[in-house]
Amino acid sequence: MKNRQIIYALITFLSSLVLLLGCETRELDDLQPLSFPTTAEVFIDDFTGDLAYSAFGGSDVRAFQVDNQVSYDGSLQSMRFDVPDANSPNGSYAGGVFFSKTGRNLSGYNALTFYIKASQAATIGEIGFGNDLGANKYVVTLNGLPVNSNWKKVIIPIPDASKLIAEKGLLYYATAPENDRGYSFWIDEVRFEKLGDISNLQGFMYEGQDRTNNAVETGDKITINGLQASVNLPTGVNQTVNISPYYFTFSSSTPMIAGVDDKGVVSVIDAGTTTITATLGGKTATGSLKITSTGAPVGPTTAAPMPPAREAAEVISLYSNTYTNVPVDTWNARYIFSTVDEFFIKVQDDDVIRYRNLNFVGIEFRNPTVDASSMSGFHIDIWTPDPISESTQFKVLLADLGADGAFGGGDDKNHEVTVTSASLSSGNWVGIDIPLSSFTSLTSRSKLGQMVLSGTLPNLYIDNVYFYKIPTKPTVAAPTPARASENVLSVFSDAYTNVAGSDLNPNWGQSGFSTSGPTLIAGNNTLAYTNFNYQGLQLGSSQNVSSFGFLHLDYYSTNATSLNVFLISPGPVETPFVLNVPTSGWNSVDIPLSAFSPVNLSDVIQFKFDGGTASDVYVDNIYFWKNPAPPIVPTSAAPVPTTPSADVLSIFSDSYTTVPSPIDLTPYWGQPQAGYAASVTSIAGNNTLYYDNFNYQGLDFATDPQDVSSYDFLHLDYYSANATALNVYLISPGAETPFTLTVPTSGWSSVNIPLSAFAGVNLSNVIQFKFDGGDGTKDIYVDNIYFYKNTSSGTFTLNDVINFESGGFGASWTWNVFENAGNPPLEFVANPDPSGINTSSTVAKFTANQAGQPYAGTETTQAGTFNLDAAHKIVKIMVYKTVTSDVGIKFAKPDGFSFGEIKVPNTAINAWQELTFDFTAQLQDGYNQIVIFPDFTARGATNVIYFDNIRFGN
Amino acid sequence: MKIKSKNTIFAIINSLLLFMLTGCEIDAVQTLPDRSWQLVWSDDFDGAAGTAPNPDNWVYDLGTGPNNDGWGNGEFQVYTNRPENISLDGDGKLVITAIRNAGPSYTSARIKSKGLFEQKFGRFEARIKTPTGPGIWPAFWMLGSDIDTNPWPQCGEIDIMEQRGQQSSITVGSVHGPGYSGGNAISKSYGLVNGRFDADYFIYAVEWGEDYVDFFVDGYLYNRITPDDVTGEWVFDQPFYMLLNVAVGGNFVGFPTDGTPFPQSMYIDYVKVYRQIQ
Repeated sequence: MKNRQIIYALITFLSSLVLLLGCETRELDDLQPLSFPTTAEVFIDDFTGDLAYSAFGGSDVRAFQVDNQVSYDGSLQSMRFDVPDANSPNGSYAGGVFFSKTGRNLSGYNALTFYIKASQAATIGEIGFGNDLGANKYVVTLNGLPVNSNWKKVIIPIPDASKLIAEKGLLYYATAPENDRGYSFWIDEVRFEKLGDISNLQGFMYEGQDRTNNAVETGDKITINGLQASVNLPTGVNQTVNISPYYFTFSSSTPMIAGVDDKGVVSVIDAGTTTITATLGGKTATGSLKITSTGAPVGPTTAAPMPPAREAAEVISLYSNTYTNVPVDTWNARYIFSTVDEFFIKVQDDDVIRYRNLNFVGIEFRNPTVDASSMSGFHIDIWTPDPISESTQFKVLLADLGADGAFGGGDDKNHEVTVTSASLSSGNWVGIDIPLSSFTSLTSRSKLGQMVLSGTLPNLYIDNVYFYKIPTKPTVAAPTPARASENVLSVFSDAYTNVAGSDLNPNWGQSGFSTSGPTLIAGNNTLAYTNFNYQGLQLGSSQNVSSFGFLHLDYYSTNATSLNVFLISPGPVETPFVLNVPTSGWNSVDIPLSAFSPVNLSDVIQFKFDGGTASDVYVDNIYFWKNPAPPIVPTSAAPVPTTPSADVLSIFSDSYTTVPSPIDLTPYWGQPQAGYAASVTSIAGNNTLYYDNFNYQGLDFATDPQDVSSYDFLHLDYYSANATALNVYLISPGAETPFTLTVPTSGWSSVNIPLSAFAGVNLSNVIQFKFDGGDGTKDIYVDNIYFYKNTSSGTFTLNDVINFESGGFGASWTWNVFENAGNPPLEFVANPDPSGINTSSTVAKFTANQAGQPYAGTETTQAGTFNLDAAHKIVKIMVYKTVTSDVGIKFAKPDGFSFGEIKVPNTAINAWQELTFDFTAQLQDGYNQIVIFPDFTARGATNVIYFDNIRFGN
Repeated sequence: MKIKSKNTIFAIINSLLLFMLTGCEIDAVQTLPDRSWQLVWSDDFDGAAGTAPNPDNWVYDLGTGPNNDGWGNGEFQVYTNRPENISLDGDGKLVITAIRNAGPSYTSARIKSKGLFEQKFGRFEARIKTPTGPGIWPAFWMLGSDIDTNPWPQCGEIDIMEQRGQQSSITVGSVHGPGYSGGNAISKSYGLVNGRFDADYFIYAVEWGEDYVDFFVDGYLYNRITPDDVTGEWVFDQPFYMLLNVAVGGNFVGFPTDGTPFPQSMYIDYVKVYRQIQ
């Protein structure tokens, strides 16, 4: 190689000489060889060539000197190295480089050899070549060379000599004291050689291991290490040296997945699998790296929701851009067996921590520890791209380090809380709030120092990690009431005109008297009962609230354990109602005034709150309200009857053919008041009887008397927003019997009157109807007057089952469908799957429209009266659904009162399942309406729900 | 087939038992006896990878020797016929591999042509790449066919090649007989000046006649042993059979060390036997 380069150089020079010929003359002596000297010797008896020495920084610069006393084979001189004692002021170790200033061509050799001995048995930390005080591109290092007081020959192989055509680093070493004591060693006869008796050069990556890394993603850089070469020495043993990556040629089996550069750095560029291998001197190196990339990381594109503003004393933040954070030692303590990597990234300028390959991660905040004893909750926002299955979990462990503030010591406490899949979501920020009281084993939290996040989400982004307490004083105003003022009697609210002259803070001897009273919360007047045990409110004047249905109030208490509100009439007569505390914000409650029985609602004089133990309670928007009066003229037609026409004898209905003929719908029977008129009018396109300025009104088919003795009920729909009394009479010649209808109505009322209610009337010869109870000023609308046969086997009681069977109960009742986008009627159909727990033949079919409200449902008032009692407190219903969602059941009274629905979700789909509803808290007499919400959820599609076999028991 | 052995080689003949040379190079030209040979027996070890050597040519020695004494030499290995210890490589080579197992214990293999091919006089050669490492002892050698009735050393032994793995540049050729066996064998070493026997294939051979045994490496005659050279009865006048093995440890080579690379394989390209034609 050397000769060839000289020849090339000569040719190049000669050709340029030709061009320059005649311009100038040069002596051939000026030629400089383009290659470097091939001198083999480094130090035989002295420095060879342009060899120079430079000590490493921090080493004893005087460690090396030429020794003319000791040498190998009695030659003139050797190199002596004096390793300093530990902590020597001259330097803590010996180390330096012997380098050629111009470089040498070593491509003709295969090893660096030398002889070495030491003043004592010792281990030379590093010795080798290729360290040139610059790029150190071709470093070869023999680590841990044992030496003793006898000369021995050392062979350091050159892994690929063809690389070393201009090597400056001829020898380097670095070694520390032995057991803190210095010693000396000598090196002599240092030369590069072409040895014929070394063989089997073999390269290694990862020290010969086949590595696999499946947790790689686009953008990752992986530096291959454990790069080594070994040769078999003349003694038959292998000599292994650590070598620079530049000796290797690396390759990737699938370069479009990951590439590798000449420094052995793998760059991942796409999803997939590839294997990185290397060759050394043309021979495949032992060891490999197989990587499987998942591609570009998937992460949130929006910042986590910004946490609410809080007072400094009400939050201890570990990680948040909103609050001031306390010091956190580490967000990844890299505990043994933890596989997680952490990345601090920004999402929409918001700082977020990303955890990759998370099995568990230790987070420590021990300097100082965190005193969260006054805090009540822990918050963390998490985001994961991982799919959520039923078994997915996310776990938070908190540890208190105890009095010593350090791990161990027998005083550490910790507790782990598991967040289950129902609270998790893929691809969305999920705010997780855990009451600190849930960490039950964490009996102290004054020296919290460690948190461990774990679970089954290997890819996790977190933000807004903090402890907080819900402030005892609200930071926002209570919700502004929206009810029209004409339906409201306000006691305390900025939204209404209040009862004048009330004493908001009467001195009834309560503990918080001096401090309680109205205060401004976010600009809104609010009653503040601080240091509360009880508190009264004296109305400025007695109020008659008997025409109101409900008492509304908003209340807030994060530290109360019990709170009652009383309404008081003279006597005093007072009744408490229990309010749920503590609250996590403002709670609004609408209490039916019946709950305050036996308080005299026409003479309410005071309120009282009690139950406090020095707690803080805030109250606002205390008012009585009632539903708005319905319009005089109905805005919708009466419900369309569903009773089969075969069972009906119709008197007046667009749905059936009127039987009596002739029939006089508006006979004049001498009604006295001026302005009285009876007519058939059209309401929403439906013929309806209208009695204007009603006093009384008949309906006459005397020339075609009807025998209704084979019928069971009289049905009629009626509407009156202003009537105070209304009766309906059935009349046979010489006999009439009234039935009292409930008025006013809040809409169309449907009633099914057992014909037995008309005792005395000859049911086989009915000739007339009559309505009375008017005072000449009221408006009555009536529709769908018909007799019908009960196809059920008698009168429904709570011991019967609503089974929708022929001869059973339910199918003959009128079921109204509401809030269901067109309200398709409830159907009674063949059981779609007569198997399992329900093999009956007929079931109810409810079509829950996609555009319908979550609370779309169906109701009936035709079952009779539901007197829920201890023997009938459990309601069961069988459902057959294509989705899992809540099923709701509600009972209501004729005046509209209800405790509200109870919701139970089905868990099976496409199979019959019986759901159980416990109405123990709602046991009252007098419910006349049952409401079923078959699919109580916002729907992404129209769902058909079947239900059946509603029964009552204990 | 005729072979004329004449070679010019960097080499040195040295009567020292251990032969070492550094630094100097001596050119030598060797003139060999003119002998003509006819091939009478060979095994090229052709066959599928992982298969056993031809059972028509070779039988196994198994275990630790008939006296359970490491084949009389205190060798460590247990000989097996497992494919991992002995099998064809599918590329025309027989591979005998010494393996270090937990313990440590060692397994390897030894085959012989005893009862299948035995011959008196001729040229016996094999092309072999030997293993290396302290305590590794590869050998290509012969024993007298009457060994069962005329126990060693009376039956005679000719060691065409044996090597110590810690001296990868040296091969040894020897004869053993009554009065000159074991450590007193008539022996000579041959060393490579700047090379190693484990780095490539070499042809190891003896040419054996009525009153001589000539030892060759790659056609270079490095020793001749005649009845005058032996210190006892000349017993090399009956048919001999051949053996190939890789031993581990034993009194010829010494112990393997922690630094001995394992596994170690001997690659045999072929074995050929010729008869001299006049």
